Amino acid sequence: MNALRAQYPEEVERILAKYPAERKRSAVMPLLYLAQRAEGYIRAQDLRDIAEICEISITDVASIVGFYTLYYDQPLGRYHIQVCTDLPCALRGAEDFLRQLSEKLGIGVGETTPDGLFHLEEVKCIGACHRAPVFQVQGDGEIVFHENQTVETALAVIEALREQARAAKGEQA
Amino acid sequence: MIKGLLTTLREMFQQPVTIQYPEVKRPVRTRFKGRHVLKRYENGLEKCIGCSLCAAACPADAIFVESAENTDEERYSPGERYASTYEINMLRCIFCGFCEDACPTEAIVLGDNYELSFTDRHQSIYTKDMLLEPVPPGGKPTPQNTEPGKYTRSVPVMQDPQD
Amino acid sequence: MTKLVTLTIDDQPVSVPAGTLVVDAAKQIGNDIPVFCYHPKMEPVGMCRMCLVEIGRPMVDRGTGEVLLDENGKPRIQFGPKLETACTTPVSEGMVVRTQTKVVADARREVLEFILTSHPLDCPICDKGGECPLQNLTMGFGPGQSRFLYDDKIHLAKHVPLGELIYLDRERCIQCARCVRFQDVIADDPVIGFYNRGRRLEIVTYSEPGFDSIFSGNTTDICPVGALTTADFRFGARPWELKSSASICTHCPVGCNLTFNTRREARAGGNPVIKRVMPRQNEQVNEIWICDKGRFAYHYTESPQRLTQPLVRRGDGFEEISWEEAYQLAAQKIRASQNLLTLTGGRLSNEDLFNLRELTLARNGQAVLYSDMAGGDLTASYGLAPGSNFGSMGKETAILVVASDLHEEAPVWWLRIKAAAQRGARLIVLNPRSTRLDKFATHTLRYAYGEESQALATFLPGAAVPEAYQAAVQEFHSAENAVIVYGSEGAGLAASQGLAQTAAAILAARGKVGQVNNGLLAVWQRANDQGAWDAGFRPVEDLPAALRNVEVALIAAADPAGDDPLLAQALEETGFVIVQELFMTETARRADLVLPVQAFTEREGTLTSGERRVQRFYPALPPRPQTRPDFAVAAGIGKALGLDLEGRAASLVFLRLVKTLPAYAGLTYTQLAEVTPQYPIIGRSDLYYGGTAYDNHQGLGVQLPLLPAARPVAVGQSQTAASVTAGEGEILLVPVTRLYDRGNTVLPSALLHQRLAGKTIRLHPQTAAAFGLNAGETLRLSRDGWSAEAQVELDEEVPLKMALAVRSTGIPCSALSAVRLERLTVASAD
Repeated sequence: MNALRAQYPEEVERILAKYPAERKRSAVMPLLYLAQRAEGYIRAQDLRDIAEICEISITDVASIVGFYTLYYDQPLGRYHIQVCTDLPCALRGAEDFLRQLSEKLGIGVGETTPDGLFHLEEVKCIGACHRAPVFQVQGDGEIVFHENQTVETALAVIEALREQARAAKGEQA
Repeated sequence: MIKGLLTTLREMFQQPVTIQYPEVKRPVRTRFKGRHVLKRYENGLEKCIGCSLCAAACPADAIFVESAENTDEERYSPGERYASTYEINMLRCIFCGFCEDACPTEAIVLGDNYELSFTDRHQSIYTKDMLLEPVPPGGKPTPQNTEPGKYTRSVPVMQDPQD
Repeated sequence: MTKLVTLTIDDQPVSVPAGTLVVDAAKQIGNDIPVFCYHPKMEPVGMCRMCLVEIGRPMVDRGTGEVLLDENGKPRIQFGPKLETACTTPVSEGMVVRTQTKVVADARREVLEFILTSHPLDCPICDKGGECPLQNLTMGFGPGQSRFLYDDKIHLAKHVPLGELIYLDRERCIQCARCVRFQDVIADDPVIGFYNRGRRLEIVTYSEPGFDSIFSGNTTDICPVGALTTADFRFGARPWELKSSASICTHCPVGCNLTFNTRREARAGGNPVIKRVMPRQNEQVNEIWICDKGRFAYHYTESPQRLTQPLVRRGDGFEEISWEEAYQLAAQKIRASQNLLTLTGGRLSNEDLFNLRELTLARNGQAVLYSDMAGGDLTASYGLAPGSNFGSMGKETAILVVASDLHEEAPVWWLRIKAAAQRGARLIVLNPRSTRLDKFATHTLRYAYGEESQALATFLPGAAVPEAYQAAVQEFHSAENAVIVYGSEGAGLAASQGLAQTAAAILAARGKVGQVNNGLLAVWQRANDQGAWDAGFRPVEDLPAALRNVEVALIAAADPAGDDPLLAQALEETGFVIVQELFMTETARRADLVLPVQAFTEREGTLTSGERRVQRFYPALPPRPQTRPDFAVAAGIGKALGLDLEGRAASLVFLRLVKTLPAYAGLTYTQLAEVTPQYPIIGRSDLYYGGTAYDNHQGLGVQLPLLPAARPVAVGQSQTAASVTAGEGEILLVPVTRLYDRGNTVLPSALLHQRLAGKTIRLHPQTAAAFGLNAGETLRLSRDGWSAEAQVELDEEVPLKMALAVRSTGIPCSALSAVRLERLTVASAD
């Protein structure tokens, strides 16, 4: 049984409806986003399901996941902290900012905190060069920009998110 | 004639050049080319990676190599490939040293041993265990069980040859 | 005829058809433009930038459209400010190409320097070293020194099995995508792909088993570096140590041209052994591809289980005897007998078959072909006309494939028919279940197993055409040329006879028999079945009865006892059984006299492919002592009988053969060894262009002319053949063919074991449920006198009350037949 179709029957149909019936492979990318929604990454099972829906080989689906940087093939943190270090940002101290942030969080760039909440990334331009250091937090289905940051303000944002997550967990329990 | 006798007289008091071979052996020169030796690294792994370039370079077609694949559990040499068969026919060898030059890992070296004698043509074929040098102190004999991911390179990074 | 375009490459004028790429045009005048990603068999992608050249075009007055001339009256040439890729640029009239200028040399050097930034220093241990395009081009055009630092090289995994057949070395890959494109475009198995990008790019496979394609070995040939290597040849030898000898594949009727690479090895006591099998170019047969069965299933020839001494039965065991004694014994038994039956398999060469035929006819014996397929007499008269070539078929040709799963039965034909369909040929597929060819078919038609002749008969002119068939029939008749390919899916001897007759009648009615790209093609079960038909061997309907009733049976290259218990029983009742074999097969075990023969790698001969192309194969290895080629064995027995048979050399047998068999009249070994220039030019010193497939120096073979039909084809008779029905507790057993079967010539190749067809029965889930069976359970099939156990596999495509069984897996299935099916409890299966 196709687990993805079972999980999101309407969404899958809606995505497929956008493309001609003989060009099902066009639906690969939206389906991959759909698959990534739940766990934050694409599992091997998702590859198989999408290949079946789009009638292409699993390898074809996998190579699309591999090519695009915004598809993840392994579990990363719930929040992606993405710091821009392109040239204009670097001139405004983004590199130092990133290094200090990484030291404070105790993880390297491209790593995830042990509690599984935060994943620190270095990204290309996010369009706010004049207000660098800048980072965006991606997670829970939304993206939040934080401009003109210092390490302290950034950590405050992170702590707030951590608090929020803890509270949410407490409620659940 | 006196001149001749004087020379004889002078030579009588010179040290004799005769050496009592085989009890006494003359040290060979630095670049002497004797019988081949297959070298090992300090940890005992064989330097030879079975690439057959020596066999390709050999003008006398004296070398025969067959290779096989290393595993971490049964490792003969660094990297993926090792020589499973290595034979040199010493009757064919002309001791030109091309094999040394061709070797990418400095595994084959023409040594100091010049005492080659056989009573049979088959004896002239030196196999790998005859050619390999002894395991250096502290090293282990091959095949070794090595930790995964440690010996992934066949050809070591080498300095430009000195000398 | 396409328009010719004249251009100048390095001051040398060349005229090529419009649309030709600059790199191919240059190749035709011997100007080798270096490439990595371009391959003449695939569309260009321009990924590696190695082929950069200076290209200039005549200046044109924009107002008048006239070419501007300089003071000497020559066209003024304008060169672009930058270099262009010769592999993606089509030629144009008056184009001027410079490939030897300093700018081009600089570009090549820099591209190579860049490609080498992270290429490992592996050449000494790399299997490609010695025949490596990257190595050769670096020597030719590359920089002596790199400006990049050694320490900056990225080290990646070196030993990545993509499957059990192909290994990947990630570091060596230069991202040319030849392998990915081959699998996607040519083999239609997109099971390998690129993952990630930039420096981290790697080739991945997610198929199960890994790299699940029957053409996977070809990617190692076209890989321009040592990134893809076969498990078979990995670290086996260096290319320069290998000797090559030409041969022909004996696994299927396509007759792919091969080159065996051999080298002396200690394990063979200093004798040569086969190190690898490479394709040899024959643009009319296999182009430059071979399937993995041809590449990896040669190991049977070197099996230690090979027979090495003539054996004679003494009680329950065998005793070694000399060849002379063996010949005398055989002759004595044959002389004393009233009837002789010679049963041959299609693995034998034409020379073997000829001598066996002469021997049999001289004793008034029966020459029987061990096969479930008929129609070889019809393919001789209505077959593909000489000059026909799948490679030249396009939209003017209709190709009708009936009752055959070509992908499994004859992979290279599948590849070429698929390519023809992609060029526009109208492909009509008639098969009861879906096959890999359906995707490329213009029309896919279904019929019920057992009704293949009726289905095909709708293509006869004037026949009543059912609604579903109408479009296809119309399309077929509107095509200028027509080829009908028939196989033996679900069909036994009688059914395939009907099929061949109907097909021949359709072709005869079209009136184009004998014209190029027209004719009938049989997908035989063995390599030289066509040759056997030409030599007068015929399959018989009731082989057990035939065997039971003869006093002496001479069986060569066939294992009836291993395939069918009924035949094994029949053999027990045969008077005296002589077996010429490579192995101690089930048949040999039941023989009275076993004669060890030589494998095709050890001897010379000719084979006739399904297209009736006669091709020579040459010895690659020295024969094993005390083995003899089949033709010499037949001649030996013949001589002992006082017959005049030639046994000294295959070429001498062939001389007699051409005098006797009308189909081969006038043919000589020299003719078979003739080679005409082939395009694309492959396998010479420029391995970067076409890969490591071998150039053909040893003969393209000769397509036999069609023979006049003995009598007009009888149409319609076959359709009265009694249809088989399954009774209560029974199902219809449908024989199908799989590439990786369990035949005697496949099993000894351990490398392929994971992919062999299992001893399984494929059932529709409903049929299975009716018998109370689940997937993976064991069942027992039985029919008068035999029973076999098999695993259940479920497949919704199988028609109800039918079961698909793969030939040569130990389930006797020579024709569509009703068998009893019982469920075995798990306990009794153990």
